[in-house]
Amino acid sequence: MNRGVEIRALTKNFVLTRWSGFRRSVSEIVAVDGINLDVPAGQSVALIGPNGAGKSTTIKMLTGILHPTSGEASVLGFIPWRDRRKLAYSVGAVFGLRSQLWYHLPPGDTFELLARIYNLRRPDFIQTRDLLIDRFNLGPFMQTPVRKLSLGQRMRAEVVASLLHRPKILFLDEPTIGLDVIARQELRDLIREWNHNDGTTVFLTSHDAGDIEHVAERVIVVNHGHVVVDGAVDAVRRKYLGSKILRVQFHGTPARIAMAGVTSLSHSEYEWKMQVDTTITPVGQVTAAVLDAGSVADIAIEDPPLEEVIARIYSGDRREESS
Amino acid sequence: MCRSFADYIRLVAAYLRINLNAQLAYRGAFFSEAIAMFVNNGAWVLFWVFFFTRFPVLRGWSFKDVVSLWAICAAGYGIAYCAMGNAHRQLASTITNGELDMWLLHPRAVLPHLLLGRTIPSAWGDWIFGYVVYLAFVRPDARHMAMFVVLSFTVAMAFVGLGIMAGSLSFYVGNAGAMSDQWRDAVITFATHPPALFDGAMKILLFTVIPAGFVSYLPVATLKSMSMRDLFMAFSGALGLLSVSAGVFYHGLRRYESGNLISMNG
Amino acid sequence: MRSSALRYGWIGYTAARSNMAYRGEVLFRSSFLAVILYIFMRLWTVVYAESKNGRIAGMTLPQMLWYLVITEAVFMSAPRIWAEVDQDVRTGRLAVQLIRPLSYTAGHLSRAMGERVVRFAINLIIGSIVALFLVGPIAMSIRGLAMFAVVLPVAFVLDFFGMFLVGLSAFWLESAAGIALIYSRSVMLFGGMFLPLEVYPDALQPVLRILPFASMVSAPGRMFVNPSLALLKESLITQGVAVVAYAGLVSTVQFIAFRRLFSNGG
Repeated sequence: MNRGVEIRALTKNFVLTRWSGFRRSVSEIVAVDGINLDVPAGQSVALIGPNGAGKSTTIKMLTGILHPTSGEASVLGFIPWRDRRKLAYSVGAVFGLRSQLWYHLPPGDTFELLARIYNLRRPDFIQTRDLLIDRFNLGPFMQTPVRKLSLGQRMRAEVVASLLHRPKILFLDEPTIGLDVIARQELRDLIREWNHNDGTTVFLTSHDAGDIEHVAERVIVVNHGHVVVDGAVDAVRRKYLGSKILRVQFHGTPARIAMAGVTSLSHSEYEWKMQVDTTITPVGQVTAAVLDAGSVADIAIEDPPLEEVIARIYSGDRREESS
Repeated sequence: MCRSFADYIRLVAAYLRINLNAQLAYRGAFFSEAIAMFVNNGAWVLFWVFFFTRFPVLRGWSFKDVVSLWAICAAGYGIAYCAMGNAHRQLASTITNGELDMWLLHPRAVLPHLLLGRTIPSAWGDWIFGYVVYLAFVRPDARHMAMFVVLSFTVAMAFVGLGIMAGSLSFYVGNAGAMSDQWRDAVITFATHPPALFDGAMKILLFTVIPAGFVSYLPVATLKSMSMRDLFMAFSGALGLLSVSAGVFYHGLRRYESGNLISMNG
Repeated sequence: MRSSALRYGWIGYTAARSNMAYRGEVLFRSSFLAVILYIFMRLWTVVYAESKNGRIAGMTLPQMLWYLVITEAVFMSAPRIWAEVDQDVRTGRLAVQLIRPLSYTAGHLSRAMGERVVRFAINLIIGSIVALFLVGPIAMSIRGLAMFAVVLPVAFVLDFFGMFLVGLSAFWLESAAGIALIYSRSVMLFGGMFLPLEVYPDALQPVLRILPFASMVSAPGRMFVNPSLALLKESLITQGVAVVAYAGLVSTVQFIAFRRLFSNGG
């Protein structure tokens, strides 16, 4: 029996009521449109998609917060919206924009409260808590009120809080939002380690390509309520993470550059925007060439916007076809 | 059943501890709000002192009777919102801001858990005031004091019910905040004035639409008569108010969980 | 001189208009006024029924109820001047206005008057409806209303000075809120809002005469119900003294406060 996540034809329609003055207009929005999915226990999955794609709605249904319009789902053998409380003992959740931690108190106080909420046996709780504090490097901050912690420290504490009751599945909704590069990498490593060492199933939603690359082994792309892509990270990496956008501003007019895998997106007298196929040419090489081409005033290396990439994937634009 | 009650009491204690700690992190504000409420209530009792000096009896109500009414209301209100601060004004915004989600993730029944998540600083001034004033002005014997304590928890139950009912309006009507505050304030105002002032149609209203009757009139009658029957009535009334409001909340919660709360203006 | 009078008039008018915009909120606040009025009308009805003659403190029951309408309307129309001044001190906006302290005060005054007039009018309308419904109209005359119209604005100005002083306490205290609460309750209790001052214990009478609160609340109330030249003379003298005293107090406190601002750098 699959003690992970099983979803069959899960559908969620929202009824939207608009009032203008006294007139009411009702429309129906399909947020999730008949999703099928199987996630075995212990797997780490990234759920990505643009805003409004249905990610948060799916997670809410899997945690029992929202009831579906139709379809079935089974999480750890439970039906989420029917056995919400029983399931909650085995589910951990971190929602990036909403905090579980009491703001004016040290994280330890919240941990104690959670032990009571989840009815944890004292010795088990202490053992798990100390293990987590050690693994997530919270030791130095245990006496510091949460409001004085940096965002990175706070997110680590949030994840620890969600793991205190040793859940079998962990849902993370945009956990790295607002974090600086180092804090992001730290958090990703910790989550991945926990997934490997403890066997906790991880369900991650994100806008960030790096999250996917470093945490997940499987990527599911959702758009307009459908599963658009479902595959191993490596496979999707080639399609999705294979390009970078390079934006350069020069002091003077630069020399021209022609390199394999480099496509010019826009070109003005002092400014360039180009797309680099990193499977053909590493972005470092292109950057070096750009720096040689003229006196650089500003340079930025970005991932292509998620919406654009997904639109490309959806419309069948494969990496193999370009170049 | 007994075990889960004991378990819930432990949960209440844990939340009281963490709520108090959070308040003491900003103790200046906490104490000044509690004291301010004490002063505010004091002004009202002073008013009644002046009034009863001139008019010693008000339809059978003496100064001690009115002070008892104030005391039991303040004590009950204070206990209610010290322990269950989320039954106060914030319930409406908790619902409309989608903060219920966090509570739904925990392995607990939503309502009894969610209510514990906050304490109202001024409520601490209220319950201390209630007890102090009752002891100081009424000077009760042990029996009356014991009854007062029991009734203060009964009144607290009614206030929690009142708060849940007011806040749950947000499940059904968008900007219900101001309206529910007004309703709650009206009930409290009626509850702190002697029921002897009202008759006929008004009395019916006070046991239905403006349930001040269940909040304070039945309890204060019990305090006067000390009869078990009255105590049973008062307790049932408060329990009834609480149950009905819980029903309203859970009905609204079902709407919330089906996601049909989304509505926009214009 | 004429142009600055026009300027302040314009400020007042704008404040009045912006208050009209919050009609919904005002309506809700007014429903609370209706509740309080109803309860106190019931209170006095019972008192009068149990009293021997038909007069208390020189007023019949209908007069007493209309007295309440006025005093309630006055009290509940008070804008939160103290909070604005407190805010100005805290944010340092006050420092910007330092150059012309008279215009700072005058600016606040005209805004306060604009807001207050509107709120009073709404409260008066609602209170009148309730009173008409319960006891019907009382005898009024053009002369009496004119006298009322003289006493009322002075009462408003007095209250403004009081709240302004409270706001200035922000220079020395962490928050003016505590003082503001005491001030507000003092106005309520010693201004004769629910009880005409004659009804208070004899021991208090001299104290009430010295305190300015009677001029803020009770004076307009009495003038509306029982206008007479003698009363007008008495009121204006009392109010006049109070205004002069307050103005002096405000200037002194402002002077000290601004000195402190200069020396502490704000």
